[in-house]
Amino acid sequence: MGRIYIRGDEVRFERKDSLTVDAIFYDGNVIRDVEPRRLFPVSGGNKYITLLDSNGKEQALIPDLATLMPESRQIIESCLSEYYMIPKILKVLDRTEKFGILKWTVETDRGEVTFTIQNRHSDIKIFYDGRVLVRDSNDNRYEIPDNRALDPKSRKLLGYDL
Amino acid sequence: MKQTGYFINKELPAEIDSKLTPLMREGDRLIFVIVGDLTRKAGYGTTAFAVTETRFITVDPGLEGGVSEGLISDVESAAVKRMYGNAELRIKTKNGTTVTALRFTYAVATLCDMAAQFIGNVAAGKDLAEECETVAGTYEKLLCVCPRCGRRLLRPGAECINCASKGKIVKKLMKYVRPEAVRLFICLLLSGLSTALALLPPYITKTLVDDILPNKRSDKLLLVVAMLGGSYILGVTINIIKAYTLRVSSDRMIEALRNDVYKHAQYLPMKFYDKTSTGSVINRISGDTGTINGFVLRISQEVIVQFFLLIGIIVIMFVMDWKLTLLSLAPVPLVVVGAKWFGRRIAPFYRRIWRRWAAVTSVLTDSLPGIRVVKAFTGEKRAVERFEQYNDEWYKVDVQSARITTAFPQVISFVITCGSLLIWAVGGHWVIAGAGISAGLLVSFISYTSMFYGPVNFFAYLNDSYQQALAAVERVFDILDAEPEVPEGKGEKLDKVEGKIEFRNVNFSFDRTKKTLSDINLTIEPGDIVGIVGTTGSGKTTLINLLMRFYDNYEGDILLDGHNIKDLDIEFYRSQIGYVQQEAMLFRDTVFNNISYSKPGASVDEVIHAADVANAHEFIARQPDAYDTMLGERGVGLSGGEKQRISIARAVLKNPSLMIFDEATASVDSETENLIQEAIERLISGRTTIMIAHRLSTLRKANKIIVVDQGHIIESGSHEELMALKGKYYRLVEIQSMSDKIRASKESENFD
Repeated sequence: MGRIYIRGDEVRFERKDSLTVDAIFYDGNVIRDVEPRRLFPVSGGNKYITLLDSNGKEQALIPDLATLMPESRQIIESCLSEYYMIPKILKVLDRTEKFGILKWTVETDRGEVTFTIQNRHSDIKIFYDGRVLVRDSNDNRYEIPDNRALDPKSRKLLGYDL
Repeated sequence: MKQTGYFINKELPAEIDSKLTPLMREGDRLIFVIVGDLTRKAGYGTTAFAVTETRFITVDPGLEGGVSEGLISDVESAAVKRMYGNAELRIKTKNGTTVTALRFTYAVATLCDMAAQFIGNVAAGKDLAEECETVAGTYEKLLCVCPRCGRRLLRPGAECINCASKGKIVKKLMKYVRPEAVRLFICLLLSGLSTALALLPPYITKTLVDDILPNKRSDKLLLVVAMLGGSYILGVTINIIKAYTLRVSSDRMIEALRNDVYKHAQYLPMKFYDKTSTGSVINRISGDTGTINGFVLRISQEVIVQFFLLIGIIVIMFVMDWKLTLLSLAPVPLVVVGAKWFGRRIAPFYRRIWRRWAAVTSVLTDSLPGIRVVKAFTGEKRAVERFEQYNDEWYKVDVQSARITTAFPQVISFVITCGSLLIWAVGGHWVIAGAGISAGLLVSFISYTSMFYGPVNFFAYLNDSYQQALAAVERVFDILDAEPEVPEGKGEKLDKVEGKIEFRNVNFSFDRTKKTLSDINLTIEPGDIVGIVGTTGSGKTTLINLLMRFYDNYEGDILLDGHNIKDLDIEFYRSQIGYVQQEAMLFRDTVFNNISYSKPGASVDEVIHAADVANAHEFIARQPDAYDTMLGERGVGLSGGEKQRISIARAVLKNPSLMIFDEATASVDSETENLIQEAIERLISGRTTIMIAHRLSTLRKANKIIVVDQGHIIESGSHEELMALKGKYYRLVEIQSMSDKIRASKESENFD
């Protein structure tokens, strides 16, 4: 497999629109209109970013964003933050439950929102470092960066669910 | 908004209304409004997308001026761009610019899909009235969701089981209690009797201490002791009878509940099993039903008995002496408050313990059936480690909860002991001072007080067991209340099935993040042999899953002989289909029973004939136990091709009008493939047949071939037509014949 790895300053990225970029190589090659996507959106963050063309075919792979030139990195990061909307839950305002369906009202970094969780067992994932990933009944995702760092009231409300 | 009669997904917020109303024009009817939840800067906020007969309007605080509008006639195309956790409705105009009309979370994704389709179709000049009907259909389906909990309902306006009141739970549990009512009532009477008997001894003790002992009445002594003994013997007898009767009725209740849960679990849609691990379902059937049963018994028996015991004791105590009674009641508030505190602390633990335990069992159900894989990849050590890790998690939580659960009863009984100390100290002082209290009264009071704390303790713990039971009820009713795939026994049955199948505008996604099938239109005539080809993940098997009605939540219609398959009786419908999967699934039973599974009660001749047709009879006959051969779990002991032929025999026996093969020959060698192919060709004559195939050679009999790619049908026609088209099918054939040639030349090399 002749995969193109982008590991440093051999490439400069130019932004096309909110989600797509052009990759311009030092040797003159250009990969046009590719969308950066995370290969490990749940566990990996900014490692292993793939660049997909409009047919969903991989054109190149960035093993680690940290190795890019600062401007390029910024462009990729802003594309990713447009694409991946995983609001960070900062505070839990209310929690009710009826017959196993949970309803959380939370304050996130993108505003206040209320959502329901169908299945507590499969839709709430807790990691050892205290990170919690939540999927609501509409398949939207949310994240609690560290549930131990929440305020006491939020922690108490979530005591039943975590 | 002045105009009414437009569709909207929730109440129009005032701030949207005030922006939208001035833009409405006479003669340009508003058709629908989608109230969105995300601004274009991806923050939460109220937005809206409104569509009239000629225009589309966006209200979004992120826009300059807060609104924008466009003409549908200027639209080139409209599409939803799905991202992660959010999506955009993008509209491309004829002058080449693309605008983001609305950004939203998946909560309104279905509506926006519909909006994109509507705008695209109207712009392309399709009939407005027809498009409006699609809009109406989408909104109506949306209303099939419970407004309170968001649960999908069976039909519009149906009652949501989730939002039903707590009385409903009692009502549901009553279903299991009612058949045992007489027995339970007898138990209750017996309990009442034994309770009354239990109240007697302290009273007799009082006579002993106050009358017989001081007055040295030896004549009465024996009589009173005999009475005491008699009441004990009677009490024991009653308790034995009661315990036995109670055990019988409780076993009957749990049996019925377990049967029901299992039965219901059989009829649950595939969607349920996609999301719930089998381990947790097993846990609910084996463990939780028992917990619920225990609780029902507590409620129907002990609560009543203990309540009367409590009242009885208090009344007797008050009659005997009110001052001492108040004294002995003094610690009660402490006990009650303590129990409340305890209940609050313990509730989350039960849940956590259950979760950890479910994780442990899911490791079991995961790794034991896959033991071959575990061994093949030397994963034993990893499996053990994983199990130990989960087991340890369970241990930690259980120990944490033990800190509270073990200490609490001790503390309570200490408080109660303190109560009796109080009676001895103060009451004893009163006896000595001669304040109208006799020694006998004091002694019987101590007995009553210790009895009194029995019910108090019981009620204190009631909350605890209630919490435990509630968690179990929740999980069991999660199964019992889950909508079965279709109401049993409802729907049409057709007299004769010709086998014509139509897919009309079918769209499907497992979850809202990705469309698995889009815009599938397909007609299969009776007797057609249709081959479906496409790369893996293209949606071939999903197409079959929909046809099998494993999933019902698709958009569009699938028809059999002109009848919507959703309107047909599901048992009847599935009995018309012979389905052979890629992985033959055999039960742990004899070969004979495995074949006759499709037609219980089939005669031996029929089964042998089916095995003949499937080219299976010969190898079965060669087995020492022939048709009586017991198969291990998942058919251990047979080769892949042999298992596949048994599963084909199973399908043959059913004599279905419609045959489906899902890569039936994908995992067998060429020779077996030929045998199977032969069997299939024998089987499909005159039946409508759908075959999914990787090896295109399997499709030589097909008179129609459909090429699926990324959820779309991209080509369809006969082999010749598709070859002439030189599209995807042509390329697939080229690739395969090339690899066949290579294989053939290699084989000839080896044989030379």
